[in-house]
Amino acid sequence: MKRKYHRLWIVAMAVGLALAFMAPVQAAETYQLGLSLAITGPTSDAGNPYSKGAEDYIRFVNETKVLGDAKVDCPIRDDMYETAVTKRNFEDFLDQEMVLFLSYATGANQALAQDFNEVKIPVIPASMDKSLVGMSEYIFLPIASYSHQYVGVAEYVAKNHKGGGVPKVAAFIHPSAFGRAPLEDFKAAVAAGLKLDLVEVVEHGKDLDNSALLQRLQSKGVQYVLCQTVQSPVATLLNDAQRLGMTAASFGEAGKITFMGAHYTGGNDLISLAGSAAEGYYWTTAYHVTSEKGPWTDWQLDMAKKYERDDKTANSHNYACGMMAAQVAVEAIRRTREAGQEVTSATLYETLNQMNGDKAFESLAAVGPVTYGPGDHMGVDTVQLYVVKDGAFQSEGEPFKPEFIK
Amino acid sequence: MTYFFQLVVSGVVVGSIYALSALGFVLIYKSSRVLNIAHGQIIAGGAFIVYALTVWAGVPIILSFLASMVITFFLAMSVERVFLRRLIGEPIISVIMVTIGLMSIIDGVIYFTPFGSMNYSFPEFLPSTPISMGGVSISWTQLVGVLITFILIGAFSWFFKRSTIGVSMRAVSDDQLASMSVGISVPKVFGLAWAMAGLSAAAAGGIIGNITGLNFETLRAFGITVFPVVILGGLDSIIGAVVAGIIMGLIQQFAAGYLDGNWGLNGTADVLPYIILLVILLFKPHGLFGTHEIERV
Amino acid sequence: MSTNRWFATGNFYTTYREEQRIFKTHVDRLFFILFLMGLFAWPLFIDASNRNMLVINNILIAVVAVYGLNLVTGFAGLISIGHAAFVGIGAYTLAGTARTIGDSHVLITHCWPLMILVSGVVGAAFGAFVGLPAMRLKHLYLAIATLSFQMIFTWAIQFMTFFNQGQMIAVGRVFWIHGQVGRSDHYRFWYYVILVTAVICGLAVRNLLRTRYGRCLVAVRDNDRAADAMGMHPGLTKVYAFALAGFFAGIAGALHTYMFRGAGFESFTLHHSIIYLAMAIVGGLGTLPGSLLGPVAIQTLELQMEHLSEWAGSFLPASMNLATALRPLGFGLVIVLFLMFEPRGMANWWRICRSYFKLWPFRY
Repeated sequence: MKRKYHRLWIVAMAVGLALAFMAPVQAAETYQLGLSLAITGPTSDAGNPYSKGAEDYIRFVNETKVLGDAKVDCPIRDDMYETAVTKRNFEDFLDQEMVLFLSYATGANQALAQDFNEVKIPVIPASMDKSLVGMSEYIFLPIASYSHQYVGVAEYVAKNHKGGGVPKVAAFIHPSAFGRAPLEDFKAAVAAGLKLDLVEVVEHGKDLDNSALLQRLQSKGVQYVLCQTVQSPVATLLNDAQRLGMTAASFGEAGKITFMGAHYTGGNDLISLAGSAAEGYYWTTAYHVTSEKGPWTDWQLDMAKKYERDDKTANSHNYACGMMAAQVAVEAIRRTREAGQEVTSATLYETLNQMNGDKAFESLAAVGPVTYGPGDHMGVDTVQLYVVKDGAFQSEGEPFKPEFIK
Repeated sequence: MTYFFQLVVSGVVVGSIYALSALGFVLIYKSSRVLNIAHGQIIAGGAFIVYALTVWAGVPIILSFLASMVITFFLAMSVERVFLRRLIGEPIISVIMVTIGLMSIIDGVIYFTPFGSMNYSFPEFLPSTPISMGGVSISWTQLVGVLITFILIGAFSWFFKRSTIGVSMRAVSDDQLASMSVGISVPKVFGLAWAMAGLSAAAAGGIIGNITGLNFETLRAFGITVFPVVILGGLDSIIGAVVAGIIMGLIQQFAAGYLDGNWGLNGTADVLPYIILLVILLFKPHGLFGTHEIERV
Repeated sequence: MSTNRWFATGNFYTTYREEQRIFKTHVDRLFFILFLMGLFAWPLFIDASNRNMLVINNILIAVVAVYGLNLVTGFAGLISIGHAAFVGIGAYTLAGTARTIGDSHVLITHCWPLMILVSGVVGAAFGAFVGLPAMRLKHLYLAIATLSFQMIFTWAIQFMTFFNQGQMIAVGRVFWIHGQVGRSDHYRFWYYVILVTAVICGLAVRNLLRTRYGRCLVAVRDNDRAADAMGMHPGLTKVYAFALAGFFAGIAGALHTYMFRGAGFESFTLHHSIIYLAMAIVGGLGTLPGSLLGPVAIQTLELQMEHLSEWAGSFLPASMNLATALRPLGFGLVIVLFLMFEPRGMANWWRICRSYFKLWPFRY
């Protein structure tokens, strides 16, 4: 009896093996994209809404016939934040004749940069790491890099600091290249004349209590903490600061600390995590957020409703982020078709590179138009500062372009 | 000096949370010699149950905290019954592997809920003004966390010292064969150990969730954080877990407080426990309070 | 030699030499050679896509790594939860060299077999170093010593500028007799390199176990005091087991770096250590076929789960996370159920299969 089961198992295994190497059949008249990102595993709290944004936008394109009869096929794969899996997905998509790749993590993009160059396929990543642009001319960042956003925050401090002297700042960063990269640009900006005094760089761990850190920073006279990490550590930091009564009630309040940060430190997730401690947190990104009503956010919420997304997803800036990446891709396809060209990686690359001047793409998701050019692979050049007031991010000033960054 | 005392207080707070996280781990190891790799997932699960009950079902937070402990108690017990009971007597490594599989399963279950990809935070139910004395401050959340930790650990210690079941559990951890021969049901003891581990993990999850907010990645990382703690204290000692937890908390706070930012060092709090761990293993392999079962080879 | 060397219906060894043969019968040897020829020949007839070649290469690299893990955990009985770090040591030996002398230096592009070997040696050195606590530690305490090595490794890589703080360090394309191996041949070329390495390593392990040193490992696992009494040095044996594990891991790491054309810390985290352990256990600890079957099974399972969740995603309501959750859930469930019913791993099936055919077509 037992032996019989073993035979069954072995047959099942063999069938499993055979199935593993079968590729899905591709339908005609479709443009093949591919998205590989972390839906589970590290950073999945950003990856999950991102994937839904991209998925919904592609569905919207196919349902409302944005491209006429042509369809866009964009398989979405979970790579669990693992470079090896991303590479497998990339090769798989290439085998299916993908024309444009939507990628995700900094590490994976760096690992695949050589391949992008060799296959000459345009890539739109979710990571806004500045180094990516230098590594491959085929990578198109949708918005300004982390470095731009980080230096943007710093410039705001330098400009708006009241009281005498050079404002003292500390950097609170993720213990990885992701956290450290913008810091280099920040230091360069200070060297280039940005009037700030960088007192200390803190690479956080999995801290449950930051009291000592905060007290140390305060005793050193630090008034601004600039964060470049993910939401969870920032939330712990904010909670501790609130508890110790160190959070500035208004920007730059003397003797208190104002907390600020770039892209992945903010968003509604931060408010979810930190609650009332998030009040007064300054954040830069290039997206419109749903707490600031506008044509885009209405549309975003409509889309989320149409495709039955939950509230959290609908209001996540990562949802907008995913939509925008898909938007840029679809727009490139549309323009290439309109120009009467065949849609291939090469023509899409051309089209993307021409997306400037009066051909700039108004995506609405972001605060500025997407402009690309042969020497400029950062889409939206401006960043928007938001601040948490009454439990929601509200815009502070107009979108601006950081000056102290090359 | 205030800075120093603040570091001490923070260290004790963080350390007692480590102790509570480590407790469940020690309980399982003590009774069945199994390294439970899925411990972090159980901690996260416990925290999410508290949140779901409090916010979605509208139960008062104290009740839902208790309810979550009861739920994980039975969940962990059934996990043991369903998956691990069959493996009694099989090589320990296979059982450890099963906990690796369990880790994946619990991950899957949590990804199925909104908690897998969304962040939440508990409603504030304690005063947000801290208690401070002479510049040293501690938040209510932390204070309550420390209190719960000590109450639970005290309860467990009492349970193992005094109650019949507790004594029989100790007997099993000492010698399975001998305890079977005096009529103790070994599988039942294993089940109970898992159940109690689940309970303490839920408590730990609830407390950590209150401090860091509910982020799946952050919470489940605590499953790994407890390793240095349990080794320092000795894998099978409850008192060891408490003392080691607090020592670890202090070390981390002092590392972050005095090392980071000097000599180009950073993020030492994350790695220092492991370096200390290696040194401990070389000089005192059974930890501070562990049973001296290790002989030189 | 009275027995039939082609078929054996039982164990009829009359000398120790006979028992120690690699192939018990000529049929075994024939099958093995056919299998090997098949492995070498199939890419000539079947045009596998890049993605499939990548998957297969990945499996073979894991096979090399798992040889090492199986030596230390299976044969020597020392649980290692830091194997990915050893693989990482190998990978970073190569990547570090590339960073120092340039990624297209002759040493990297032309002398790659040497580099692979060097990575193995460096891996072995680190293995021996991490194995030092084994002189004093046993069981899970040792497991946790390896775990702390894993954590320290990840931290060090992310901290040190020399290793680009864990970011990608690229290595150049290698050269073969006909010139540079381009993108179109990349996976196929590395398939052969990895296959040859895996076969050599496999034979090496098999032969090692026939020697004094290999049996030493097993003796120390089964009873270290008895081994001590027999004149072996259990402590040194354990250190040497770790060194061997480090060697195979280092080689796997270098192959990984070459195949993925660079090294980044994401591929050598604790998660990967656990996956390697899963491969070794599911395959069957302490068996050579297990080192082959484990990686195949785990990677296939992972792919199957990906297909399953994709297929489920095509009809399940998009508003739910069902498809996402299905993947880890299914993966864990299969592993747990498998181990519940077959704690000795797939190698046990292999054994049952073989013993079945030994008597076939007669049943007792």
